[in-house]
Amino acid sequence: MTTPPRAVSLRGVEKRFGDVAAVAAVDLDVRPGELMVLVGPSGCGKSTLLRLIAGLEEATAGEVWIGGRCVDNVAPGDRDVAMVFQSYALYPHMTVAQNLGFGLKVRGASREDIGRRVDDVAALLDLAGLLSRRPGQLSGGQRQRVALGRAMVRDPGVFLFDEPLSNLDAGLRLRTRDEIAALHRRLGTTMIFVTHDQVEALSLGDRVAVMDGGRLQQVGTPHEIYRRPANLFVAGFVGSPPINRLPLSRGADGHLAGGPFRFAGDWAFDEATLGVRPEDLGADPEPTGALPGATPADFKTTVLRVEALGSEQRVHLDGPAGAAWIARVSPALEVAAGDRLAVSVAWDRGHLFGPDGARVAAPPCPIPDLRT
Amino acid sequence: MSRPPERTDGGLPAFLPAIVTVAFTAGLAVILLSAAASVNGARERATKNVARMAANLWEIPGAGADAVAQLLGERATIEAVPADGGAPRTRTEPGAYGYRPGALDPSVWIAVASDPDRAPPPRPTTPLALLGILLMIAWTARRRRRPPPPRYPAATLLLAAAFLALVALLAARRAHHELEAISAAHLAHGIRAAEIAVTSGADPTRAARAAGLPWGTTAALADPARLWTMPRAVSEAIAALPPPLRTAPTSTLQAGGATYHIAQTTLPPNTAPPTQSPTAPTPAPTTLHLALLGYEETASPTVPLTAASAGSTLLVAIILSLLPLSARPRALRRTLAAWGFLAPAATLLLVFTFGPLLFSLWISLQEWHLVDPAHPFAGLDNYRNIILDTAWWSSIRNTAVFTLHVPLAMAVALALALLTQGSRRAVRWARLALFLPSITSVVAIAVVWKWLLNDGYGLVNQLLARAGIGPVPWLTSPDTALASLMLISVWMVVGYQMVVFQAGLAAIPRDWYDAARVDGAGPLQRFRHITLPGLRHTLFFVLVTSVIGSFQVFGLVYVMTEGGPLGATDVAVYHIYREAWEFLRFGNAAAMSWVLFAVVFAATWLHFRFLEGRRAHA
Repeated sequence: MTTPPRAVSLRGVEKRFGDVAAVAAVDLDVRPGELMVLVGPSGCGKSTLLRLIAGLEEATAGEVWIGGRCVDNVAPGDRDVAMVFQSYALYPHMTVAQNLGFGLKVRGASREDIGRRVDDVAALLDLAGLLSRRPGQLSGGQRQRVALGRAMVRDPGVFLFDEPLSNLDAGLRLRTRDEIAALHRRLGTTMIFVTHDQVEALSLGDRVAVMDGGRLQQVGTPHEIYRRPANLFVAGFVGSPPINRLPLSRGADGHLAGGPFRFAGDWAFDEATLGVRPEDLGADPEPTGALPGATPADFKTTVLRVEALGSEQRVHLDGPAGAAWIARVSPALEVAAGDRLAVSVAWDRGHLFGPDGARVAAPPCPIPDLRT
Repeated sequence: MSRPPERTDGGLPAFLPAIVTVAFTAGLAVILLSAAASVNGARERATKNVARMAANLWEIPGAGADAVAQLLGERATIEAVPADGGAPRTRTEPGAYGYRPGALDPSVWIAVASDPDRAPPPRPTTPLALLGILLMIAWTARRRRRPPPPRYPAATLLLAAAFLALVALLAARRAHHELEAISAAHLAHGIRAAEIAVTSGADPTRAARAAGLPWGTTAALADPARLWTMPRAVSEAIAALPPPLRTAPTSTLQAGGATYHIAQTTLPPNTAPPTQSPTAPTPAPTTLHLALLGYEETASPTVPLTAASAGSTLLVAIILSLLPLSARPRALRRTLAAWGFLAPAATLLLVFTFGPLLFSLWISLQEWHLVDPAHPFAGLDNYRNIILDTAWWSSIRNTAVFTLHVPLAMAVALALALLTQGSRRAVRWARLALFLPSITSVVAIAVVWKWLLNDGYGLVNQLLARAGIGPVPWLTSPDTALASLMLISVWMVVGYQMVVFQAGLAAIPRDWYDAARVDGAGPLQRFRHITLPGLRHTLFFVLVTSVIGSFQVFGLVYVMTEGGPLGATDVAVYHIYREAWEFLRFGNAAAMSWVLFAVVFAATWLHFRFLEGRRAHA
């Protein structure tokens, strides 16, 4: 494994299918050796973006640079990338060894060379006993490893993963995720990983690029994405259960108000949305203020439903102004539907989003003396 | 006291025993009716022939109505044909068959009533059948009051089968007896007609012809050239009979694989005044032999009776097998529904596929001639004949050569399929144009191509002439005719194959191509490593079906070359067709069909063995 990790750079890349823009004006820099995760809902253009990098699609506009050269006119096989497909795309009529060696074979590598490299990769991925089998005789996890091995055997500068875990069952998916993370640590190769699963994205990525509607919404470390979402879409897409929202509007006094809350400030807009993550709500039968930074008992409400998940409880609340809010609370709290709760908000971790959805820099803080 | 829960699902299960009885009764009825039908058919043929005898007698000068009355008595009615050309009255009488004597007296209509029934010896056929039906009804009545049996009611089936077999056996014996009597009476009428003719002044030859049956005289038996109506095999068999048998009034013999009933009489010398010189020697009496193709060949009740009893036994067995199942009405209904849905298709398959198949196998073992009712069993003679028949093997070789167009067509079709992928307008039109020959009648294609390839005025040769190339005898030279047919066949099948290939191409996941592109494979490598392996099932399907179709080529040859020139395009099916419909040797043709089937089967098996059999992947 001698190829140095490559940087990947997208400059104003756009891809249109007829009138539909699958990818619109994307600028993205993936640093050498970085594991970048592209995440977004179905149809957001993340797979198209990956195929653009691989060269399987041709960009309508913009440039793709890999390892410091513009590859717009370079065939997929010559871009120094390898790709793992969601379906694995193993060649069914070839044995595992032939599948692994195909990329080397079509490049005219010698038989000995192919054999050596295939054996190396097979040993690394624990495929040595399966080399003479065909894909149809393998389990899902084994096929996944063969697909991975087929990418590794060519020692590419960039790995592209197109939702490689979505065909695995839950347990295997977790294990394979760890294996990919370990592989990335060991190889140090640049990896671009497409997924629609935000947990996978946050757990795996050095950085995460969130896409929606063909546009990049935010690029940042998992922590940044979660804690400082650039806009309402990112805030809502990342996190489970999703962020609690409360629409606010500017009253006659110039303050933004919604439900029991009023926010003072020199606001440049009339409409806004308050966002609070479920774990940033403190709930207590007594209004004591359980969380640090939380002001005691921001509002009192009724419990609609409780999901007891073992390690935590999700308490569905009759939120401010009738909004459906969820609080993540300790399993130690004894709570049942119909109970009254005093809820406190960790305002320093709350978000305010403007009418265009973009996050307003300062965290909101309600006017204390007007609290109910 | 609580009542036991009532079975609400009584419907069909409760009626099953009754249905068994109905099937059993129907089987018995079919047996009795088909025995009667076979006898009636023979009687009808005999009556018709006797009517012809009467007409023959009428035509003999000096015979006339007296002779007819002598032969038939009250059975014959001689009626003047109405002058207005209307139908004779007796024509519409049931059981009577008329005959209008030919040139001499077309105004007369002789109707002959059916041979009256002679009381057959009493045989307990019908009472036995009634007893069986009564037993079955009793069984049904008892069965209805009891729960369904846990196991197959084998005893009932055995009893029913025994009854059906016994009734069929008795009915067959009785039918044989009656047929025997009809046959003997038929021959006796023939003999009688000849004798009456002689006494009426006809010469022996004329008298023999009056009998209306294949005949031969003692002198003629030794000289086949003088036999007009009697098959050679029969006359030889009569000549070979020991004298007592030969002189018996009637007897039975086997000749040419068929049964004949024969009778003979000694005709006195012609009583008419000698027309030659008075010194001529007195003519000697003539022995006349008449032969009648046995009812065993023409009206044998054995086959229908066996089929009827076997069929109804099978039906009873099947319905009885539902009886244990009726303990579980849901399972029963599911079974019946399944069979109900299967029945139409299965019936069609049996009647129109397996039936003809087995029938052709049966024909192939016989000397089967379209116009000869006798089908002597030939065993494997037909197969031996065709194995030694060089023309047949030459047609097989032509067929094999013709089949070589299949790989060429497949290569062209695959190339076209790859070129016409996608949905652009031009591509769609190209696909349509290429597919058109597949939906066009073979005959139309053949006629047009025959015209295009004509030596003299054909468009192709005219164009070639403009390019300075001499006329090519496309269809008229043994060197080029088969090749021309192969090219036309390529043109015909390419569209269909292309469409199948396109379906196969569409089924290859795009991911495989993408993976291969990322792996660095170029277009040729992708074709070699992705397209071809991905199409292997499609290729195999097209290869096998096209080879089979090519072995069965007929229309093209029939219309364009008729096997010529010099047998250069005489392919197997065309050869079989000619054997059957030109030379009327159906036995041979059926045997050839089975040899062709064996060849096609072997070719297909080899395909499976060597192409499809090696695959191990999913």
